[in-house]
Amino acid sequence: MGIVSPGESLAPGELLVILRHAPHGSSWLREGLEAAMVAAAFGREVGLLFTGEGVLALLEGQQAGALGQKGSDNLLAALEMYDVERCYVDAAALERRGLSENDVSLLPVTVLAHADVVALTQCFSRVLSF
Amino acid sequence: MASSETVRTLSLDGREIGLDAEGYLVDLEDWSPALAERLAAEEGRELTPEHWEVIEVLRDFYQRFSLSPAMRPLTKAMTQRFGADKGRSLHLMRLFPDSPPKVGARIAGLPKPTNCL
Amino acid sequence: MDNVVNNCMNLHLLNRSPFSSRVYEDVLNAMGSEDQLLLIEDGVNGALSSAGHYLAGLEGRLFALREDLESRGLSGRCSESVIVVDVDGFVALTEAADKTISWF
Repeated sequence: MGIVSPGESLAPGELLVILRHAPHGSSWLREGLEAAMVAAAFGREVGLLFTGEGVLALLEGQQAGALGQKGSDNLLAALEMYDVERCYVDAAALERRGLSENDVSLLPVTVLAHADVVALTQCFSRVLSF
Repeated sequence: MASSETVRTLSLDGREIGLDAEGYLVDLEDWSPALAERLAAEEGRELTPEHWEVIEVLRDFYQRFSLSPAMRPLTKAMTQRFGADKGRSLHLMRLFPDSPPKVGARIAGLPKPTNCL
Repeated sequence: MDNVVNNCMNLHLLNRSPFSSRVYEDVLNAMGSEDQLLLIEDGVNGALSSAGHYLAGLEGRLFALREDLESRGLSGRCSESVIVVDVDGFVALTEAADKTISWF
């Protein structure tokens, strides 16, 4: 964790999945994670960027919702088994919600400042937004 | 994800077990080792200790992640649990021809994996 | 960022009005200095003169889709800094961009 040292973590990659929706509430987050896992299962090199409400996916202590509705924490836990290891979180989105990198402990993530968020969208050859 | 519609049933110890159109359990709670033997026999397979290693890993994976693994994570989980030889695709293909994640999930009583072909 | 190709330009698509959705903030945060923004669907509300403060600093890189403006009766109410394009223009922007990223 920590602010990325430029050039080290922002190596080129094949697919960047941008996650902008919070757990529960909609299926966007789960669908984005599943898309990432499908690509990874086929050997693509996948990166994840948590931004907007998506940063809330990284908070600990999540559970199934009412009526047993699935959250997203199980999918986050499985990412490692799919070899999805490049996970980034947008520092501005964290700050806007009063969160710091200490709060996003569910996954090992790299916190990115604005310029590096931009660079990230440029160094992956494909971007999918969820 | 778990299917919901019973297309046919299988009798086991006087109980009727519901299966969906692709042979996956409608109620995952119905699973037992005896049922696994039965499901395998239906497909003309006999479960060896090596099959049971895979079933164990599949069920453990589902318990940890609420998810049936695709091939790649299955090989990784097998490697972690039983070593690199057991994690090789060829080994898994030999045990569960066609598609180890799909056939394995069916016999291990998991939902059909959503993220593999 | 030595190993990153920084000369590529992305096209961002926004279909939410900045008056009712703050997604535009995430778009701006992800836009590089050469990136372009095309407003479509409800996003074209962001082309109104009164919305200028939301999408400031994008002169020459801010576009709105003509068809969506016309269907809403907003054609004559756009900020002068917004470049209006039709569907063909939309396609041309997409072709010129390295990648297209949707925000919704």
